[in-house]
Amino acid sequence: MTQAIQVIIFGATLGGVYALMASGLTLVFGVMRIVNIAHAILMILAAYIAFYAFQLYNLDPILSVFITIPVMFLVGIIIYKLFFSLISAEDRKGELTVLLTFSLAIIVEGVLGAQFGNTYRSANPGYASEAILVGSFIIPKGQLYATILSVLLIGLLWLFLKYSRIGYAIRATMQNQSAAQVVGVNVERMSMIAFGIGIALAGASGSMMSFLFTFYPGKHWEFIAILLSLIVLGGMGSLGGAVIGAFLLAILSALVGSYIGFTWSPITFFLALFIILLFRPQGLLGKKEDI
Amino acid sequence: MSEIAVTTKKNQAKTEYKPEHSTSRGKKIFLVILLLILLSFPLMQFVAGGMNYWLHMALFIFMYIAMASSWNIIGGYAGYTSLGHPVFFAVGGYFTGTLLVYFDVSPFLSAPIAGLVSMALGLLVGLISLRTRGPAFIISTIALVMLVRIIFDNWDYIGGTNGISTPLIELPLELAKFPFYYYMLLIAIAAVYVSYRIRHSKFGLGLRAISQDETKAEVAGIPTSQYKILAFGISGLFVGMAGGLWGYYLTYLKPDIFLLIIIAAKLVLMTVLGGKGTVAGPIVGAALFILVNEFFVSNFGTTELNIAATGLLLALVLIFFPKGIVGTLKEKGKLPAILDWD
Repeated sequence: MTQAIQVIIFGATLGGVYALMASGLTLVFGVMRIVNIAHAILMILAAYIAFYAFQLYNLDPILSVFITIPVMFLVGIIIYKLFFSLISAEDRKGELTVLLTFSLAIIVEGVLGAQFGNTYRSANPGYASEAILVGSFIIPKGQLYATILSVLLIGLLWLFLKYSRIGYAIRATMQNQSAAQVVGVNVERMSMIAFGIGIALAGASGSMMSFLFTFYPGKHWEFIAILLSLIVLGGMGSLGGAVIGAFLLAILSALVGSYIGFTWSPITFFLALFIILLFRPQGLLGKKEDI
Repeated sequence: MSEIAVTTKKNQAKTEYKPEHSTSRGKKIFLVILLLILLSFPLMQFVAGGMNYWLHMALFIFMYIAMASSWNIIGGYAGYTSLGHPVFFAVGGYFTGTLLVYFDVSPFLSAPIAGLVSMALGLLVGLISLRTRGPAFIISTIALVMLVRIIFDNWDYIGGTNGISTPLIELPLELAKFPFYYYMLLIAIAAVYVSYRIRHSKFGLGLRAISQDETKAEVAGIPTSQYKILAFGISGLFVGMAGGLWGYYLTYLKPDIFLLIIIAAKLVLMTVLGGKGTVAGPIVGAALFILVNEFFVSNFGTTELNIAATGLLLALVLIFFPKGIVGTLKEKGKLPAILDWD
């Protein structure tokens, strides 16, 4: 039992990070109906920024969010301008955009691979290998800090969406694009901002990733598959669903990793995806028409 | 819908008025000549020698023609973009490879069975994945690749991440590529023929109706679920066979070689570049892509930038050239008759 609780602690302290990773993805889907396959490779791009900021300038990876968030926001805006302004709004909903973000993922993967090679990287700040003892349980410091910061960022995102003017407009676009347009929301601009925020969240996730995981460019396929499973499980476009899905599956995969074998733990996410597709294709908190 | 109506009329016209002459005499002669050239091409080995490189290129192209044509059945005709085809490729390869290593069964015998195994897997996965449409379907196929990847990486019997080596074929060097060449040619012909037959069948018409408006297709009485699942299964058949042969040809099997999403990316690119949903498109796209890619690899070497270039090309084709070569030429009325099989 103690072992199980310990494993659950490990899983839960990763859950927040997965939730942060998935939140950007689900936001972009919610607003633009775009499944951004390039989300994870952009996370890895940000992880390289955080990694080198730590290696070269000794900048704490957690503090590097102050760099990765604005930089990746700009990257998001540039990508939006380059890729999505070229295709009509009607074509965007379909598979074309998925394939475009898929191409983008391959492009960035290739460029990162050429630049940084396939060496496994991981930033190693002091706290990444330290732990807090609570009774007989170990709480790894790095994971704890990362999850606290992640939950904080998701909370900020929620407040922003709930109470700011732009947040109102973004939510209106999420609910009904044409109706939002009628009441005077600039849907195009909101989409661009939402995409920028989504990629900025990928940037923040990248900062966490730089010291929580070992990464290399090709690693993003595993991450994107995990994140996509999470948002399908939670219901595509639902922020709450993504958070619930993230904590649930992070704990479950930690249990699988501990009892069946470490290398098997990611399979939890993919099996969960197929099981949810079988029984509830719209996901836990999703609406039927989203699928 | 109007396009369906038009094509239906066209098909009816073909089947009702000239059932035997739907393929003109000129096209038949072209096909026979092409076949003779392809069949006799390896014999150059005896005349000129040193043909191994070209035989390799040719059979590589055949393999991708077979796979892209298969992909086109679900991705082009039915409009369901699958990124999961590397799984069929890997299952086929590992099926024949394992039989060869442990039971000494020649992959030339087991490749067709490997195709059937892949097809069965396709039907099974299709049963679940094809409950969703559009983006969610694509997501489930990506997840499938990662799922199978984890299984293969952890399965010691088939070598795990290190993979397994298969014995070399026992033929002198100048003849070693012959059986692979002819076998791949056969698989490619079979795949293209099946794709052609589906294109001109009620089943194919149903698939195209699904790709245009699935709800309306269902209302019109098309058994959309069965059609989609069957299309996905058939699509896996030839990819599995090609994989079954490819592992033997390479003499080793590794998840790193077979279970790559970039393989799926190539299939999408080839098909869209040549012309999605057309019979000749995947053939043109596969041949063109491999030759161009080979040109770059031999001149600039293989780097990670090749991956980036593949992605860039895919993005450019998707945005600026979505109908592909065959589709665009047809639209302009400039498609040569030998490429017009739709």
